[in-house]
Amino acid sequence: MAEINLSFSVNDQKMEVSTEPTRTLLSVLRDDLKLKGAKEACGQGDCGACVVLLDGEAVNSCLVLAVQAEGSQVITVEGLASKGQLHPLQQNFIENWAFQCGYCTAGMLISSYALLMDNPNPNPEEIRAAIAGNLCRCTGYHEIIEAVGKTAADLQQPVLTSES
Amino acid sequence: MNKPDYLAPQTLAEALDALGKHPHGVQLIAGGTDLVPQMRSKMVQPELLVDLRLLGLEGIEMTGDGIRIGARATHTDILESDLLAEHCPALVESAADIAGPPIRNRGTVGGNLVNASPAADLAPPLLVYDAQAVLASSRGERSVPLEEFFTGPGGTVLSDDEILTEVYIPPVAPNSSSKFIKLGKRKAMAVAVVSVAARLTLDDSGSISQARVALGSVAPIPMRALKAEAVLEGHPPSAELFAEAGRVASSESSPIDDIRASGEYRQKMVAVLTRRALAAAWGRLGGEV
Ligand SMILES: Cc1cc2nc3c(=O)[nH]c(=O)nc-3n(C[C@H](O)[C@H](O)[C@H](O)COP(=O)(O)OP(=O)(O)OC[C@H]3O[C@@H](n4cnc5c(N)ncnc54)[C@H](O)[C@@H]3O)c2cc1C
Ligand code: FES
Ligand code: FES
Repeated sequence: MAEINLSFSVNDQKMEVSTEPTRTLLSVLRDDLKLKGAKEACGQGDCGACVVLLDGEAVNSCLVLAVQAEGSQVITVEGLASKGQLHPLQQNFIENWAFQCGYCTAGMLISSYALLMDNPNPNPEEIRAAIAGNLCRCTGYHEIIEAVGKTAADLQQPVLTSES
Repeated sequence: MNKPDYLAPQTLAEALDALGKHPHGVQLIAGGTDLVPQMRSKMVQPELLVDLRLLGLEGIEMTGDGIRIGARATHTDILESDLLAEHCPALVESAADIAGPPIRNRGTVGGNLVNASPAADLAPPLLVYDAQAVLASSRGERSVPLEEFFTGPGGTVLSDDEILTEVYIPPVAPNSSSKFIKLGKRKAMAVAVVSVAARLTLDDSGSISQARVALGSVAPIPMRALKAEAVLEGHPPSAELFAEAGRVASSESSPIDDIRASGEYRQKMVAVLTRRALAAAWGRLGGEV
């Protein structure tokens, strides 16, 4: 099979890639576009290390074929910081010890970011539900939940949007 | 993985045409949450992938008195539907119990049914609502009651040239309510050890005029517990009646031992969860046991 030309936006930049239809979005992000934030751990949807935003929704990029992202907007962890400034979620993850090895962090950040877009003022139960698809083997989750809660409090209003 | 061709048709007619032209080796793809792992492990090696993503087919809407759920509606769409929350609470509960948000954002009702896992979480509630699978091909359209849709683990009556376009739920009787309960190894990201959906409709005298009980993960296919339903119908709701229905449902199930649980444990849990689901459905109608 010939490769397919794919055009989509990643972190607000238009990207053109030529890829075989069986390659995953994760593989194209990491290997072709050199965005190494999203990780592959399980490769089958169980761990959430590969979570990115696809048209505003958190998805496992290891289960999305790259060709399915044609015309879509993808946001990866690399897209959270702007103008050299970490996103408040990232800052709070650092300050609250919300990671140790860091393998889950990109996915945790994106799942939390997706939550705050929908629900700027989540309670701890809602935060747990939002990261239910993200495994962390280091922190025990407590610090992550605190970091997300703290970010929500810091941001209070104005609300995050997918453009922010 | 092998190297299939890829097509993302713009219309259903185009998609059906592609299926008709390639009788073998075509694989439809919706959310890919079942298919992509199967392709990666080479369980499935398609020659052509036909992506349903541009076909629409994702709406959830009232038609007449029934409800149509497009095959590409995701678990998140079901979870967020006010219409389903009002008419089909057990279906919404089952979607809420699937995996975690990223899987729910991609996985679709069509994929869940056609993948035909005995543990497919949307199947038991759809069975208790007497749902029908609407199948289209270039030969025309047919509706198949969901109880006749599954043929075995991974198997359905869908032909190679057909696409599941929507799931139709006939009008839900007014004096009726339902409940879904899933028992997994943990609260999220867990395949069901046992799942139960129950629906009760009461007549004017308060007796059960219609009962539906459906079970997941305890037989080769998601199944109706017809004998348990017969035990319930025509009687006023009571704790004893629900317990008896649970025992009968348990004896109808035929679970196997696997890595998640023993068959014996599953069978015991069918009795417990059926009783609880019935009591909860009745509770939603104002009853108490
Ligand atoms: C980590 C993980 C956790 C999961 N947890 C659960 C869970 O808790 N409960 C549960 O029930 N499931 C679970 N699943 C399974 C899966 O997510 C669901 O079954 C999902 O609904 C499948 O939908 P999909 O759109 O992704 O299907 P796809 O993978 O796109 O397709 C699955 C199959 O259906 C066919 N198909 C898809 N749509 C159509 C159509 N419209 N017409 C005809 N054929 C079609 C495809 O050809 C393919 O054979 C889980 C999966 C993963 C990876
Ligand atoms: S790598 Fe995608 S979920 Fe684990
Ligand atoms: S920080 Fe190591 S897995 Fe989460």
